[in-house]
Amino acid sequence: MPAFRNVSMCGKDCMCLYVCPTGATDTEDSIIDVNKCISGCSACAQACPSGAISIVPESYPPQQPKSPEVIATQRKLAYSKAQQWQAAEAIAATTDNPITKQFATAIAASNLRMAEDILRESGYMLPQSNEARKLLESLLEYEEPGFPKGAVDLLLKKL
Amino acid sequence: MKKYICTICGYVYDESSGAKWDELPNDYKCPICGAPKSAFKQVEESPAKTISSPLDTENHNGIDNFTTLTAGEISAICSSLAKGCDKQRLLPERDAFNKIAEYFKAKAKPENSKAFQDIKKMVDYDLEINFASATEKAKSNSDRGALRSLVWSEKASTMCRVLLDRFNKEGEGLLKNTKIYVCDICGFIYIGDTPPEICPVCKVPKSKILEVERG
Repeated sequence: MPAFRNVSMCGKDCMCLYVCPTGATDTEDSIIDVNKCISGCSACAQACPSGAISIVPESYPPQQPKSPEVIATQRKLAYSKAQQWQAAEAIAATTDNPITKQFATAIAASNLRMAEDILRESGYMLPQSNEARKLLESLLEYEEPGFPKGAVDLLLKKL
Repeated sequence: MKKYICTICGYVYDESSGAKWDELPNDYKCPICGAPKSAFKQVEESPAKTISSPLDTENHNGIDNFTTLTAGEISAICSSLAKGCDKQRLLPERDAFNKIAEYFKAKAKPENSKAFQDIKKMVDYDLEINFASATEKAKSNSDRGALRSLVWSEKASTMCRVLLDRFNKEGEGLLKNTKIYVCDICGFIYIGDTPPEICPVCKVPKSKILEVERG
């Protein structure tokens, strides 16, 4: 799998340029070129004195099992947070007052972050998990105009 | 002598080291995270009062498909999985999850117009009931990850509740001469001119604490 550079940690030490056999690390936008990067090489990650390069794993172990009762209580909270997110979004979308809009947008963002995190800890940590696959498979039967079915197909094929 | 703990970051105010709590000015702020006085609670906790749920949660049995999950939940699951794909550098997959998230976000509009008071009722119920029962289950199942998410969200929720109360009382004055930030990792909200160096809840560096701009 390819190497990945965390730009905010990159000290422009350039060791990655010296050791890269293909020039994959030498790009004007600082993003390592995955098409040139040799899988399993990792020379750049080992040479980087700033620790800014990591190797993205090829595969992931199954998720740690979650008990049904933990899933149930996590989902209850996630549902509530998602409702609060939507309610705040609706306020932000309809108000004419710029400060009310700003405040509602912050409340919405906060609740979406919480909903996402609580959901991750209820079986949706990994995109490759069975839970994610089951949800995607159920969406194959979702028939509404404008629904991006192509995205579901792509995910079921690639993940 | 009593002690008061900041429910956001855990800072403890001890009366024995200074003024009595009641004598502190109303605009006293937590020296660590800036939370207002109302976000503190006395260290000996009083028993929680019972309130009824503002939401119908009967359908929430943990079996997931588009008929049992709300559009908002599907959207949040997919935007979260999109971030997971981004971290794994699976960029077409990230974009696909984001597309589904956007679709369901647009679908998720509430039927009735909502007010901040509606949100307040929900966060009250979370803080009085939902967090306690979820924390109990996470503990009894030794689910460290779930517990971690609950600790963070409970603090971020407490800040939400405090700010909803303050906005209700102070209105525009709350933000008029200052800025508002949201931690992109845990949802902690911070009001002030510059964000803290690290998030007081999840400890992420301030580059991930994002300003919500006006207009």
